[in-house]
Amino acid sequence: MLSSEAAAGSVKAALQVAEVLEAIVSCCVGPEGRQVLCTKPTGEVLLSRNGGRLLEALHLQHPIARMIVDCVSSHLKKTGDGAKTFIIFLCHLLRGLHAITDREKDPLMYGNIQTHGRHWKNCCQWKFISQALVTFQTQILDGIMDQYLSRHFLSIFSSAKERTLCRSSLELLLEAYFCGRVGRNNHKFILQLMCDYFFKCMTCKSGIDVFELVDDYFVELNVGVTGLPVSDSRIIAGLVLQKDFSVYCPADGDIQMVIVTETIQPLFSTSGSEFILNSEAQFQTSQFWIMEKTKAIMKHLRSQNVKLLLSSVKQPDLVIYYAGVNGISVVECLSSEEVSLIRRIIDPSPFVPPQAFSQCEISNTALVKFCKPLILRSKRYVHLGLIGTCTFIPHCVVLCGPVQGLIEQHEDALHGAFKMLRQLFKDLDLNYMTQTSDQNGTSSLFIYKNSGESYQAPDTGKGSIQRPYQDTVVENKDELEKTQTYLKVHSNLVISDVELETYIPYSTPTDTFQTDETLKCLSLERNRLTDDYEPLLKNNSTAYSTRGKNRIDISYENLQATNITGKGSMLPVSCKLQNMGTSQSYLSSSMPAGCVLPVGGNFEILLHYYLLNYAKKCHQSEETVVSMIIANALLGIPRALYKSKTGKYSFPHIYIRAVHALQTNQPLVSSQTGLESVTGKYQLLTSVLQCLTKILTIDLVITVKRHPQKVHNQDSEDEL
Amino acid sequence: MSRLEAKKPSLCKSEPLTTERVRTTLSVLKRIVTSCYGPSGRLKQLHNGFGGYVCTTSQSSALLSHLLVTHPILKILTTSVQNHVSSFSDCGLFTAILCCNLIENVQGLGLTPTTVIRLNKHLLSLCISYLKSETCGCRIPVDFSSTQILLCLVRSILTSKPACMLTRKETEHVSALILRAFLLTIPENAEGHIILGKSLIVPLKDQRVIDSTVLPGILIEMSEVQLMRLLPIKKSTALKVALFCTTLSGDISDTGEGTVVVSYGVSLENAVLDQLLNLGRQLVSDHVDLVLCQKVIHPSLKQFLNMHRVIAIDRIGVTLMEPLTKMTGTQPIGSLGSISPNSYGSVKDVCTAKFGSKHFFHLIPNEATICSLLLCNRNDTAWDELKLTCQTALHVLQLTLKEPWALLGGGCTETHLAAYIRHKTHKDPESILKDDECTQTELQLIAEAFCSALESVVGSLEHDGGEILTDMKYGHLWSVQADSPCVANWQDLLSQCGCGLYNSQEELSWSFLRSTHHPFVPQTCLPHEAVGSASNLTLDCLTAKLSGLQVAVETANLILDLSYVIEDKN
Repeated sequence: MLSSEAAAGSVKAALQVAEVLEAIVSCCVGPEGRQVLCTKPTGEVLLSRNGGRLLEALHLQHPIARMIVDCVSSHLKKTGDGAKTFIIFLCHLLRGLHAITDREKDPLMYGNIQTHGRHWKNCCQWKFISQALVTFQTQILDGIMDQYLSRHFLSIFSSAKERTLCRSSLELLLEAYFCGRVGRNNHKFILQLMCDYFFKCMTCKSGIDVFELVDDYFVELNVGVTGLPVSDSRIIAGLVLQKDFSVYCPADGDIQMVIVTETIQPLFSTSGSEFILNSEAQFQTSQFWIMEKTKAIMKHLRSQNVKLLLSSVKQPDLVIYYAGVNGISVVECLSSEEVSLIRRIIDPSPFVPPQAFSQCEISNTALVKFCKPLILRSKRYVHLGLIGTCTFIPHCVVLCGPVQGLIEQHEDALHGAFKMLRQLFKDLDLNYMTQTSDQNGTSSLFIYKNSGESYQAPDTGKGSIQRPYQDTVVENKDELEKTQTYLKVHSNLVISDVELETYIPYSTPTDTFQTDETLKCLSLERNRLTDDYEPLLKNNSTAYSTRGKNRIDISYENLQATNITGKGSMLPVSCKLQNMGTSQSYLSSSMPAGCVLPVGGNFEILLHYYLLNYAKKCHQSEETVVSMIIANALLGIPRALYKSKTGKYSFPHIYIRAVHALQTNQPLVSSQTGLESVTGKYQLLTSVLQCLTKILTIDLVITVKRHPQKVHNQDSEDEL
Repeated sequence: MSRLEAKKPSLCKSEPLTTERVRTTLSVLKRIVTSCYGPSGRLKQLHNGFGGYVCTTSQSSALLSHLLVTHPILKILTTSVQNHVSSFSDCGLFTAILCCNLIENVQGLGLTPTTVIRLNKHLLSLCISYLKSETCGCRIPVDFSSTQILLCLVRSILTSKPACMLTRKETEHVSALILRAFLLTIPENAEGHIILGKSLIVPLKDQRVIDSTVLPGILIEMSEVQLMRLLPIKKSTALKVALFCTTLSGDISDTGEGTVVVSYGVSLENAVLDQLLNLGRQLVSDHVDLVLCQKVIHPSLKQFLNMHRVIAIDRIGVTLMEPLTKMTGTQPIGSLGSISPNSYGSVKDVCTAKFGSKHFFHLIPNEATICSLLLCNRNDTAWDELKLTCQTALHVLQLTLKEPWALLGGGCTETHLAAYIRHKTHKDPESILKDDECTQTELQLIAEAFCSALESVVGSLEHDGGEILTDMKYGHLWSVQADSPCVANWQDLLSQCGCGLYNSQEELSWSFLRSTHHPFVPQTCLPHEAVGSASNLTLDCLTAKLSGLQVAVETANLILDLSYVIEDKN
C-alpha cells in the first residue's frame, strides 16, 4: 500500500534548497566564474559552466529542488540563457520573503486566520503573497519596463530600420554572453570564432530565419575534433558531413547532386506483395533485369551530369559499383536531419520525394560547387560546397579541443548564443492598461499584461476581448464606492483562478477545456456576487453572458495565442475592466527587437531603482511589499557579479554611482564593456516570479515511497 | 520495456584540487609517467588480474589505454593526453608530465586561478611564437634531399622506447627500414598535392629483429597447402586483376520486404551457381589472370577459374581492400553481371614468399606507393611495442613532411625554452602583461612555475641518479653520471649536450638545472654550419611537440579552473 510521508512546504525549506543551489551556481557565474566537471554514468566527463547542465547533472532528490530545476529547464528551453541568474535571483527573493516572516508585525496578516494552526496560517499568508506576486508580474512589471526602463535601452542594430548588425556591437553582446559560458582561456577565441561564423553565414538579406536555421541544425553544422588544441578550431566554407564516401570519384567544376531516400536498385518484392518464382530461368531473368535497371539508372544519372549521390539509406553493392563505374561519388546513411538541412540550404521550397525511378525521372538535382574528402585528424569526412540561397551561406564550425568535454562545452555555448540572438531579433510586446480614477484623486496604475511574442498573439484576438466591455463601464460609474469594495474581493477571487490554471503547466490545453474553465470561473464569480452586490449583478449579467460567448469564439480562433499567453491573465482583466468605474486607456507598446543594456547588473539596478520609486507611490500594502522584495532581490545579481572586485569597482560603489546618476538624470556609466539582451532579462524575471509563485502555493509536500508504477502501466498500455 | 528507476543523486565536491586524495592520485600518476620517460625510462608491466595478456611498455599510448583511471580529474588529464597521442603519435609522456608539473607547481603559490590561467596562456603563446619564429635557437630545418636528419629523427624515436629491446645495431637496421618504408609511400611523379600511400606492417613474431624487411606491394598470408595449389603464372606482361567486394559464394541477395514464393522443384542455388559460372566465363574471356575477393568464392567457381589458369584468392578481408584498390588501380566489383572493362586493374608480377614460418602471396605493383614492412621481434610484447614505435615513427615522418622542421631533442629544447622565458619575463614584463590586470610579481611567480615545470620534465630524463646541468650560453641540457668524482672540472666530465649539437670543448659555464641562477639570454638563431656538421643528433617532431605543449597547458588550465566536481553515481 501507499506509504507516504508529508513535510511542510515552506519558504524556509525552499530557501535552504535554493541556497545550496546558489552556492554551486555562483561559482561559475559572470566573467570570474570557474568550471564545473560533471561525470556521466557512462564514465564520460563533461566540463560545463552552463547552469542548466549543472542543475540537471546533480540529479536532485528534494522535491522543491526538482521543481526549481524543472522551472529552470523550461526557461532555458525558451531562451537558452540565464540559468545561473535564475537561481541567484530566486534565492534572494526567498531570502527577502523569509525575512518578512521573522518580523512580528506583518502587514499581510488577516484577523480570521489566527484561529488556525501556525503552519496553516503561514501557508495562507504565503498564498496572499503569491497572489500579490502574480498581480505584480501580470499588471505592474510591463508598465515599469515600458514607462521608465525603456528610456535607457540601447539598440544593437546600427540602423534600426534595416536591422543591420555591425561586428563591434555583436562582439560586445557576445563577449558578455561567452564570459559566462566558456573557460577564460578560450573566451576570446570562441568569441571571434562565433563572430566570424556569423558574418560568413549571413548575407545582406538574412534575417531571423538564419538564426532559426542555425539553431535548429546546429548539431549538423559543427564537427568536433579531439586531440588538437582549441586554437585549431576554424570555420570551413560549405557543409561537412560526418561520414566517409562509399565511393569517391574526383570531379572538377560545378557538379550536380541528387538526394535519394530509398535504394536505387529495384528489389524482388516490396512489403505487402508476393513474388512467385516458377522457374530458375525466371529467377535469372529477374536478376538480370534488376541489374540492367540499376545500370540504366546510374547511366541516366551520369547523362544528367550527376556526380554525387547522397543517400539516407545503405545502397546495395551493385549500386555502389555502378556509381563508381559511372564516376558518381556516393555518400550513404545520411541522418534525416542532415538530409533536411541540405534540402533547406539548397532549396527553401518544399521537397517532393522522387517517385520510383521507373522512368528515370530525376528532377531533384542541385548544383554543388565541389565535393571532396576532408581529413581532420586522420578521420575522413565529406566536404560539400553547397551553394546557399540568398539568406544563408553554408559554413561549418570545426571545434577542436584536448578533450570531448571541452568541445561539448564550446558547442553548447555557440548553440546557446544563436538561441539568444534568435530571441533578441524578435519584438517583445508589452500590453497593459493604465487607468486613473479621478474621483478619488488618487492615481493608481492597473496594468494588464498580455505579453508574448508579437507574432504568436495576433492583435485581433486581443481586440475582441477588450471591445465588449467599454460600454459597461458607463453603467457602473455611479456606484464607485461599491465597486471599490467589490474589487477587493473580486481581485482575490480572480487570482485564485489564476492559480488554478497555473497548476497545469506546460500541457497543451484543448479549447474545450479552456472554455469550460472560463465558464466555471464565471459562474463561481456570479454566485459570489449575488450574495453581496445585487445591483451590480443586474448590470453585469448580460455582459457576462456575452462575454462567455466571446470567450468561446476567441479560444477557438486563437487557440495558439491563448496557449502561449498566460491563460489566467485573460480573465482577470476582463472582470476588472468591467467594474472599473473610471476612465481608462488601453496601452499597447512593444519593445523593439534588439534592445540591449550594458552588462554588469545595469538592468537589475535600473529596475530596482524604478521599483522602489513605484513602491513609494503605491498605496496598497501588498504591492509595496512585493515591489520592495523584488527590488531588493534584484540587487543580489550585481552583488554576485562584483563579488571579487574591490575598491572603485566593488558593488557598493557601483550602486551608489548608478543611483546618483539616475537621480540627477545623468547617463549611466558602466565599468564593463559588453551588452546584454533586455528581452532575455525580462523573460528571466517573469520565469523566476512564476517559479516563486509555484513554490509559495505549496503547503504540503507528500513523499510517496513507491515505484512510479502509474507511469509504467500507462506506457505498457500505450504499447499494446 | 525499460524499467523506470529513480536516479541516485550525484555527488558534488567543491574545490577538488585542494583535497588530499586528488593530490596523492595526481602525484601517483605523475610518478608513473615520469619514470617511463626517455631512453633510460623504466618499463611498466601491465596485467589484468582476471587474465588476458601482459603488456610491457614505456609508451604513453599503451600505458594510458591500459590504466583504469576513475577520478574525474585524472580522467580529463589522461583522455586529453590520449587524444593528443592519437592525433600526433608522439610526445604523449611529455604532455602528461608537463601537465602534472604545471598543476603541481602553482598549487602552493596562493594566486587566484584566474590569474594563473591568464598568465599561463600568455607564457604559452610566448613559447609558441618563439618556436615558430625564424630566430628560434632550438629548431633545425629538415633537408629531404639527404637521409641524415630523417634518420636521426627516426632513431631518436626508437631509442626513446626502451621496451622495444633493440640493440644498437638493430636500432640502426629498423630506422633504415622505417625510413625506406616511408619513402616508398611517396608517389614518384606527384603534381599538385600529393597523396601518400600506405605502409602495411606485417607481423612476424619470434624472429630476429635483423630479419625485418621492407617489400614494395602487398603480402597476403596463406597456408602452405593453399599456396602449393596456386599454379605458377608464366607471363611477361603485367597481370590483369579483378577485385570483388561482393560475395561470390552464391548467396541469394536481398529480396526486399515482401515475400518470395518459390515453386516446388525450382532450385535457386543452381540458378545462382549458373550465374556465377557465367561470371567466371566472362572473367576468362576478358583474360583476367588474378581474381581477388573480399569475401568467399564458391568452390565450383574457384575450381572453374583454376581450370582456366586464373588464380583465385578469397577472404581477403576489409582491411586490405583499400590498399589493394590503390595498388592495382581496380574498381571493387559489386556486380555478378556484366563487368565494365574499366574495373580491372593490374599488378606487375606475383610470387610466393616464405618468411620465417609464414607463407605469403606477394603482389608486386607497377608503381609502388604501397609497401609492406615485415616486422620481426623476439616475443609478443616486444613486438607490440616495436609495432607501435614504427607507427609513431612513420606518422612523425609524415608530419615532418608537412612541416619540414625538427626540434632539438634530448631535453635541450625544454631547457632552452625555459631560459628564454625566464629572460623574457625579466627583461620585458610589460610587453607580456600589456593591459592585463596582473602584476609583475604575479608574472614572475607564474613564469618561475612554468619554467620549472618545463625543466622538471627534462629532469625526469635522468633515472639513474645522475645530475643535470645547463650551460649559460645555449641553454642546453648536459647530464653527468651519478658516480662522477667531483664537480671541479665540468669540461672533462661532460662530453656532449642532450641533443648532440654542442660538445664541451667550447668555453662554456655550467650550472645545476635545479639551482637558482641568474636569467641569461640563450643564443638564438642556430648557426647553419653547426647543424651540418653534427651527424648524430637527437631530434623531436616539431608539430607533435608544439601540440603537446599546447595541450598540456590547456589541460592544466582546465583542471585549475575547476571549482566543483559533480559525479553522477548512477
